[in-house]
Amino acid sequence: MALPLPPGLTPPEVAFLCEMELVSIIPRQRLDSLDLLGGSIPALVPPHKTSVPLWLALLLKRQRRANIVPPPWLAPPWLTAILEYETEHPDTFSPPPRLPPAPGDHSIVFSPPFLPQSTVEAGPDALPYHWLELGEMLLEAATDDFEDGESVRRLLQGLREVRMAKLRKRTETLDEPGGIRMNGIGGMEVAEGRSFITGVVDGLRRIRATYEEKRRERGTEDGAGSPRTVDDYDDDEMETQLTS
Amino acid sequence: MGSQSYYDVDAILTDAQKVPCTFELTVPGLGYLEGNMTGDIQQGSKVELPLWLGEMLALRHVQPSYVFLFKRLTLPHSQSLNTSSLVTLDHPSALAPRVLNALKADPRTVDLRALAPHFYSLGARILDLFEEDDMVHVLSETFKARAAVIAGQAHNPRGALGEGADFMRGLDETERKLFRDAHDSAKAVRTWITDLKKK
Repeated sequence: MALPLPPGLTPPEVAFLCEMELVSIIPRQRLDSLDLLGGSIPALVPPHKTSVPLWLALLLKRQRRANIVPPPWLAPPWLTAILEYETEHPDTFSPPPRLPPAPGDHSIVFSPPFLPQSTVEAGPDALPYHWLELGEMLLEAATDDFEDGESVRRLLQGLREVRMAKLRKRTETLDEPGGIRMNGIGGMEVAEGRSFITGVVDGLRRIRATYEEKRRERGTEDGAGSPRTVDDYDDDEMETQLTS
Repeated sequence: MGSQSYYDVDAILTDAQKVPCTFELTVPGLGYLEGNMTGDIQQGSKVELPLWLGEMLALRHVQPSYVFLFKRLTLPHSQSLNTSSLVTLDHPSALAPRVLNALKADPRTVDLRALAPHFYSLGARILDLFEEDDMVHVLSETFKARAAVIAGQAHNPRGALGEGADFMRGLDETERKLFRDAHDSAKAVRTWITDLKKK
């Protein structure tokens, strides 16, 4: 009954998933290509930019074998623009990156969090799914690869607060049809907001349980008239039998 | 009760909350419910009974033979025997119209904990028994409005201790759980970020 962990992913788990995302690095040392279970990693040749999973990039960065190239959106001008959008539109989150055109029949379909478009090839004007985790991890491990790490950090903090405040306010508008628009929300934000939002939804559902049930019953009764008439008919027949 | 498990402490405590009941029949030997250790409980007397007992007595139909037995024992000729249940339930004081009006006016200022520690669970149980569309709306609006304040307090480290302290004291158990959840998840993210720096 009492699981030690709440449902859903914990922040470290979300961060772990985020480490599968590709980032660009500029290697300082040569490394042959690696064939791993998660796919092969291309050979690293020093001056050439290469895309590798975040976990490998962090590892190489820590060993001073590579420099990380921050994704284009993780720069002050673009983050400022997104932050402005967030503050100007109190009802919607900034739109997620555009999805690529549907792939052909013979290519592998990636699920949205792991698209190259979300990180390496991301446009600078949208926050990818793992924006918060990726930003925090890169800022922590590779501050020196940013031109202006401090303002990026400040902008990320600002974005996080604005978006979480919006997410919490959504529950107020949670209405009878039920549903909160969460387009463009990130993985870490889902992890943070999950228990509160599900708590509110569950509480409301408990209060409205009987009401909704009765309304549904009333709906089916109005909709399907035929079973009732059969019952009425039976009753009438029984009455006539009794009276005769 | 669906999600509520047999061992759910909150469900048990909700069941223990008192609701006013009016006895429709004179029952011999039940006087101790009123504090009268030896006597009978009279028809029409109002007693505060726990929800589980009140609900059972109100919903369970009295067997005709029992009614006959009561009649034999007590011989109250005035007693109306056309009622089929022992007691009629009334709304508990926590859900009185006065309280609902206060909630309609401003949900944030009402001290729900003082009214009933399991206010929403009690409300849900009462709504199971009575069909009250108005109460459904008042309770869900209240819950939503207060949830927003709770979320704000959970993310503002000084809110719960400073100006928000009075509000926090007035939370019922469902809302406390909500506060704890919101606070814990925000804390988990903060912990993750600080752990990142330690590496």
